[in-house]
Amino acid sequence: MLKTALLSASLAVAGYACSAWLTHDFQVWTAEGARRLEVALQPIAAPSVQIDGPGVTAQALSQLLSDGQSVTLVDFVYTRCQTVCLALGSVYQQMQTTLQAARKTDAAARQVRLLSISFDGQHDNPRILEAYAARLGADQLLWRFVRVPDPKETQRLLADFQVIVVPDGRGAFEHNAALLVVNQHGQLVRIFDYAEQQLALDYARDLANAASPR
Amino acid sequence: MKLAQFWLKWHLAIAGLALCLLALPGARLFLEANMTRHMLVQFPLLALIGFWFAGALPRNWMRRLNSWNGYGISGLFASALLLALLMIPRVLDLALVDGRIELVKWLALLVCGAAVRLSWQPAGLLVQGFFLGNVLPMMVVVGYLFESSPVRLCNAYLLDDQERLGQSLLWIAAVTGLAWLAILVRAMMRREAATALPTPSEEGPSTTYG
Repeated sequence: MLKTALLSASLAVAGYACSAWLTHDFQVWTAEGARRLEVALQPIAAPSVQIDGPGVTAQALSQLLSDGQSVTLVDFVYTRCQTVCLALGSVYQQMQTTLQAARKTDAAARQVRLLSISFDGQHDNPRILEAYAARLGADQLLWRFVRVPDPKETQRLLADFQVIVVPDGRGAFEHNAALLVVNQHGQLVRIFDYAEQQLALDYARDLANAASPR
Repeated sequence: MKLAQFWLKWHLAIAGLALCLLALPGARLFLEANMTRHMLVQFPLLALIGFWFAGALPRNWMRRLNSWNGYGISGLFASALLLALLMIPRVLDLALVDGRIELVKWLALLVCGAAVRLSWQPAGLLVQGFFLGNVLPMMVVVGYLFESSPVRLCNAYLLDDQERLGQSLLWIAAVTGLAWLAILVRAMMRREAATALPTPSEEGPSTTYG
């Protein structure tokens, strides 16, 4: 019986250790929660995948995102989307309006940009993206649209940023949509839920403010 | 003796074959493509293989294990812990993207099935009740969470899949609980009948039961 008690006690300790590891000390229970926490603790550099889009010359994503000045709010979309992306689209429209108003008075707001990346690069060519941007009323200087033409590189980008895209069997995709804040050096530093647009915007403006010379 | 050894070999071969079949990339892809299949088909199949393997353990191994497993407490406790860990939504996602986690998940399920086989009989009704009293409410909580959550808890799976899995977990917990209660009631009725009617000539063997 002593052996049983000993074994059970060590099992309890092992079980506790495993669950603490799995849940980052009981803070997160889902993969999405873990992803957001891990990014906050350890920023992820944007990969150097080739992108193109309306008004954007073909270049590496890391290059576009690390101009040393602007903080970028990134989201992932596909233009055929009927559900989450529409919500994200309207979130982006509202953020654009807020930024346009703030730009007149606040220097930091001028350094915040929006970027929508399509993960459906085969379908969403620059022309389709341009029409999509026009439909959403995007201001080209503030809110840009790009795609990654090479499917392999798309997979690399999605893997690096831990974006999981699942076909829903009806020709559409389900994906863990969120607002990704990328700093001036092209590092993904924080992920916000798209219901937290104000928080994401404030965080980005704060980042831009901290870096801008006075 | 020869026959027993022959049977043991077959026993092991069948369990090994079943394990290899499940490990085929196609089978894994098929079973893990869908949340319900992942948790309600692949999980139980792996546990069943573990259960089957445990039946083929050599006797001296069994004796050694049993000394660490009084009243089946360690075994059932280990199973309850493993099941609790495997019900954390993050595990399902991690198993899909990280081969090491997938391997640990498989081992955990095999151990789970084996531990239940080695521990269920020695446990008796009290320890069994304690085990189920932990595992089933946990399953109900997870099932309810999966069924009622408006957001996806696993990045790799769809929302309607998650709802279906939640409902199934609730049903499984309910049916398992009821089945065990039925066994409990039957065992208690037998015991009462045995004490009320002391006719050793008829009830002889069954008084040692339970």
